[in-house]
Parts: sequence; structure tokens; C-alpha cells
Amino acid sequence: MVKYASFLGCQIPMRIPSIEIASRKVFEKIGLEAVDLLGYSCCPEPVISRLLDKTAWLAVSARNLALAEELGLDLMTLCNGCYETLVETNEVLKQEPEELHKINEILKPYGKEYAGKVKVKHAVEVLYEEIGVDKIKQHVVNPQRIRVALHYGCHMYREPEGGDINRKPNMMKELTRVTGVEIVDYGIERLCCGYPSMQADEEFSLKQRLLLKLKRIKEAGADAVVLSCPACTIQFEIGQIMLKQYGVQYRIPCINLMELMAISFGVPSKDLHLEFHKSPVLQLAQKMEAT
Amino acid sequence: MVSENEIIAYLKQQLGEDLIEASKPRERRVFARIKPTALRKAVNAMKRQYQTLRFMTISVVDHGLDFEFLYHFHVDGAVVTVRSEKRKEDNTLESIVDIIPAANFIEREIGELFGIKLVNHPNPQYLILTKDWPDDKRPLRRPLEGELPKQARPVAEALISTSCVAPISAFMQKKREEAGLPKTPPFAFTDEKAMQEFHGIMKDTSLAKKAGFDWKKKRLRHK
Repeated sequence: MVKYASFLGCQIPMRIPSIEIASRKVFEKIGLEAVDLLGYSCCPEPVISRLLDKTAWLAVSARNLALAEELGLDLMTLCNGCYETLVETNEVLKQEPEELHKINEILKPYGKEYAGKVKVKHAVEVLYEEIGVDKIKQHVVNPQRIRVALHYGCHMYREPEGGDINRKPNMMKELTRVTGVEIVDYGIERLCCGYPSMQADEEFSLKQRLLLKLKRIKEAGADAVVLSCPACTIQFEIGQIMLKQYGVQYRIPCINLMELMAISFGVPSKDLHLEFHKSPVLQLAQKMEAT
Repeated sequence: MVSENEIIAYLKQQLGEDLIEASKPRERRVFARIKPTALRKAVNAMKRQYQTLRFMTISVVDHGLDFEFLYHFHVDGAVVTVRSEKRKEDNTLESIVDIIPAANFIEREIGELFGIKLVNHPNPQYLILTKDWPDDKRPLRRPLEGELPKQARPVAEALISTSCVAPISAFMQKKREEAGLPKTPPFAFTDEKAMQEFHGIMKDTSLAKKAGFDWKKKRLRHK
């Protein structure tokens, strides 16, 4: 059985736990053992903490990595932001021995040490590479006949220098396709949803980022957006509500890949508690079940 | 001629733990960072030891959340700067005029231009500003703000205080239980030891300080 330490992050368990529920059900069905990381903290978030104090950013992240190392497991995360922080800090700590020594000196008084043995993977990579599309397909009992647009999220494109930045987005596309949906291209998949710029300029974030995507997604005839990142999901869902103040109305369901996969596996939508969403995901799921 | 190292050694001996650090970045230049409560002790020690001590001036830097006070002295061809930081909420400066009478005017300038209350100054009157100058508009005083833009402060506050950028509400805990999940995920804030580790890291690095986090009140010093 494939076994990973599971890093849930902040946004999924605290804001959209339906993603946590769905992922637990999906992992159980496909034979992926996800061990909860006890006593973990925020990854920490990759914008404010890194800019404010890189040493603290590295140390908090190294503590999380050390928790996985203590379990003797590699780390898997469902969140794109956590993925970015944990992968980048892991690279720094593995490639810069002086930095690793400095960070371990900070961790030492708390009985923690990171030896640099952990691999960090996005859940999309684990599902695609270690479970495999064919095996996942075997669990699809309720293939979905809807049209979806994909929003991969900026951090999904992160790769080591020289790597193929479309590697993980392509995996996500394949995994989405397994559920039976039709994927529609809308041309600006790579454009940021605007989540990070919300902290600097709300109007820019909504009108110059999110709105451009919503327009193209609607024009492409998508019934829903499929995402993997909880922060992007929050931006898409709350952003649609906030755009009303500018006279723009959209109600596109924003479903997480794990939720879509769980529904295609035959998990009843009521068991997923999709009411945590701020977009009509529950209505979409009920519609999907009815057909 | 007294050497830079001798000056540092003397300050170490006189101030003990009140001296945070001392350095000589170049020839005839000494910096000594002290605890703010030890200011008069340091000035007294300097005056007692060096017969040729000359008080030069006091500089003040408004860092947003803190004031930094730099007392510059000339000692036998060397410039010695004794520096200390105080939270702006304290907003006081203890006068050294009784030890160094020449500090009289510069302390008054500091008081009026930064809006800092002078303690035990013999004549804390305005020197430059008009008597009717408004208290809340001091020419050199910046607002109480740190490095974080306003929109980023709630995230930083949540991260430092709870180890999580999206603190969980009682409502969400209830909803999680209803959904068959544990009330909270296994976050650091659910475990005292894990939280001590996290807060220890925050205190040992400068993130919390730069964000302006108040450990007693468990929130940022500014909104």
C-alpha cells in the first residue's frame, strides 16, 4: 500500500472541509494510506512569512518536514500553497548545508532536527505516479457527463529549474478526465486567479484577474471549474460574490478534483458535505447524481 | 589614547547584561546596543570614566513600531554611539540633562518633533514649534505601523498566535463534527508541546518582531 504523511494545511480543514472528507474517501478507495501529521502548523504560507523573515519561514517549514521524517514517511499535500512552501524550503535545506545547520540550531532546543530525507509531493503527483490512472479508472462507477474548465493554480506549475512546468497540470488534466467529464479549454488557464493580489488591491484582483477567467470559462461553455488549490477555490467562490458590487454576476460551481473524483466513485454528495462551498457545488453534485 | 576595545571592555564591565552587543565597525568607531532601562547607567559610566568625554548629540529614528535612540559621544578621538530601542507605545524619554547639561536642547527638540514625553527634563518647553502646535501632528513622527501592509496583518496575526492562517471558529468545529470529522485537524494549536515549539521558533526568529506581535496581548500592536 502506498503510504504518505498527509499535510492538510490551513484552508482545507478550516474553510472547505468537504475537500478533506472527499480526499479521505478517495484515498481509502484507491488504497492510499494518508497518515495525519500530528502537531503540524501552517506550512507557513508562502507570501507574507517568506517576505517578512525567510529564516522563520524555513524553520517553521523544516519543523513540519521533521514531523514527517520522524514518521519515516514522505509528505503529500492537497494544497498548492503548502506544496510551494514545502518543496522550496525542502530544496533549500537539502542543497544548502549551512542553511540546514542554521535552521537545525533553531529547532534543536525543541528536540527537533531535520536531516533532509523527506520528499514532498502534491496529491496529484501521488495519484498519477504511484496509484496510476488505470487503477483509479477502475473505481469510477458514476462517470460524469458535464463540461468543466480547469484552473490548475500558479504553484502547480512549480518545477525544479529546467523541469517541465506542465508536468503536474497535465497529470491533473488526466486525473480529471478519468471522472468522465469533458474538459473545455478557455485559453488563459495559466492566468493567476488573483488570490495573492487581494491583499494589495482588491479591485485589481477581482477585475483584472478573476473576472477575465470567469468570462472565458463561461464563454467556453463550462458547467463548472475544477480546482486543486483551496486558496484559488476561495478566490473563485468569494470573488464571484464580491464581483456583484461591480454589477457582475457569475454563479459557476467551483469543485475540487478530490470532490469530483469522490462523486465519480459513487460517494453520495450528502456524505461529502458540499455545503461548505460558497458556490453552487452542492446543486451541481445533486444534478450530477440525478442524471 | 584609549582603544576601541578598551571602551567596549569597560562598557561590558559596567553594564553587564544591560549591554546587548558592542562592535567596532571601523577605526575609532564604537557602537553599543543597550537595554533602554540602562540608558542613564551607561551615560553615568561614560562620564565617570572618560575625563575628555564630549557629548555630541542624540539621534532618533522612528522605525514605525519602535523608536531608536542613539547617543553619540566623542571619547579621545573615537566616536561612541550608545543605542537603545523603545516601543512607541511607551512614548517617554528619560532626560540625561542632570548628567550632561548639553543634552538640554536636543532632548527638547526630540520631545516636540517626535511627540515624545520627556521625563525629568528641567524645562520641557517647545524650542522650535509654536505653542499652539497640535499634539497629534508631530513633524517627524510616523504612524504606528510595521513592515506589513494593512491587508496582510490579520494573516500574520493568525499565523503567529495560532500557528494557522485560517483560525477555526466554534461554528466550523461543530460543522466538522457533524460531517464526521474530528472537531479540529491535528494542528499545533491542539497540542501544548507543539504550540510551545512553534511559538519558540517565532520568538527565536524575527518574524513576530517584524510583524509587531505583542506576546502578552497575543495580537499585533497595530491594526
